[in-house]
Amino acid sequence: MIEVRNLSKSYGSYHAVQGVSFSVNAGEIIGFLGPNGAGKTTTIRILTCYHPATAGEARVAGFDVFSQSMKVRESVGYLPESVPLYPEMRVEEYLHFRGRLRGMSGGDRKAAIGRVAERCWIRDVIRRPISHLSKGYRQRVGLADALLHNPKVLILDEPTVGLDPTQIRETRSLIRELAQDHTVMLSSHILPEVQATCQRLVIINKGKIVASGTPTELRDRVGGSSRLIAEIRGPENDVAAALRALPQVQNVQTRFENGWTTAQINSPADVREALFSLCVSRSWALRELRREGASLEDFFVKIVAGMDAAAA
Amino acid sequence: MLSLFCSPVAYIVIFGFLLITGILVWVTQSFEPGKPATLRNVFQWTPFVLTVILPAIAMRSISEEYRSGTIESVATAPVSDFEFVLGKYLAVFFFYLIMLLGTVAYLLLMMYFGNPDVGASVSAYIGLIMLGMFFSAFGVFASSLTNNQIVAWMIGAVPLLLLTTLAYWVVSSTSGIAREIAQQVNFMGRFENFARGSVSLEGLAFFLAASLFFVFLAVKVVESRRWR
Repeated sequence: MIEVRNLSKSYGSYHAVQGVSFSVNAGEIIGFLGPNGAGKTTTIRILTCYHPATAGEARVAGFDVFSQSMKVRESVGYLPESVPLYPEMRVEEYLHFRGRLRGMSGGDRKAAIGRVAERCWIRDVIRRPISHLSKGYRQRVGLADALLHNPKVLILDEPTVGLDPTQIRETRSLIRELAQDHTVMLSSHILPEVQATCQRLVIINKGKIVASGTPTELRDRVGGSSRLIAEIRGPENDVAAALRALPQVQNVQTRFENGWTTAQINSPADVREALFSLCVSRSWALRELRREGASLEDFFVKIVAGMDAAAA
Repeated sequence: MLSLFCSPVAYIVIFGFLLITGILVWVTQSFEPGKPATLRNVFQWTPFVLTVILPAIAMRSISEEYRSGTIESVATAPVSDFEFVLGKYLAVFFFYLIMLLGTVAYLLLMMYFGNPDVGASVSAYIGLIMLGMFFSAFGVFASSLTNNQIVAWMIGAVPLLLLTTLAYWVVSSTSGIAREIAQQVNFMGRFENFARGSVSLEGLAFFLAASLFFVFLAVKVVESRRWR
């Protein structure tokens, strides 16, 4: 649905985006993740035909964003980061206006407005002037506008910024729902955000793509090893020695408190079963055994920090 | 595009325009008994009012889209930059026409009380429409240059006001080719031909071409924003 090859965009001598390539399949939700100023919005604006790229090419819904701009615009629903709306218009007027811009007939517009008002929960504010609406409602009006013409591709730039926790949850579930019949690309600088909604992530920093894949794939790449936390009733030194003797265990850290040893075990393999057998054979009681996957948050921070260190 | 009508500023402008032209009608003593019933003096002064008022109507058109960021949602809708600017221009121009319609009341009053030269008045109105068409285009062009409404107004009003007031002085103080050029672009002179009752194809063509030129420039300015 979205095909980006070697896309670059410079403002004078500042290179906002450099040689970015990725693709999104139909029906996918892709998260475009990066710290502030990474080039997310710049890339998105190229895809939505707001400004042309300096080099490279991009196709959306099979159309080239430069030479078939109108076709692309027809098949994309776009929610810009700042959610620009005309404050003097009423919600309904605004949606009618946007429908007219897209060349929809009066009947189509009525039906479409009814549909999106239902989906985006703006039924009860439809007659209110936009200037009276709270940030959360404006965001939903912007989303309703993006959905109005039932686009094949939805591009949302930071859709949950400025919303309260309930609204964030609602918006996330709405986006997941929308993915059933739209291809969705959303950007964010907050990791849990994309982790919760997206099937695939593209991480961008300083205008370059640093990683991409499913959340699980990325997590595995963090270093592969996961952490195991175990609480075992036994003397600290014995427990530590026995754990280190287990196959494939790389590192063990222990802490002793009230007769219980809490051990943190690093291992590329899953040693939970071996650990259990060990406890049984030594007749140590085991009251907790949990696996802590390396979090994507760690990964994200590591990548961004690593790039910064390399640049410095 | 016709969102101009939603804004209170628009009504203040209409009210101001009608008030000023109303005062003009009174000050020029067009209704004094014994004088010829004509709005000629009013028509003579109206262009000066328009140089200030039309840029004020147009100032918001494009610059506000830049400032509020709504340009982003318009520029990514399936509407070309030409259609966008043309829509803005037509909105300003139609708004002006509606405003102008209000002044027809003076003419009707005059027809009721006296016997004005209807032909000359119609011609003068065509002239005002032409002048407004050109000023609107210039105002929209000024608005496309900046994201500040006040700056847009000044870019629009100052050159128009200067040209209107200095037009005759420039024509009379130059000679040769410069004079020829000054005479050609002297839109005040062309407007006065209309006000005097002579509608020429040349005059119509001049205003139409001038308007198209500035609409075209505005389109180019809006397009150029994409490359920055």
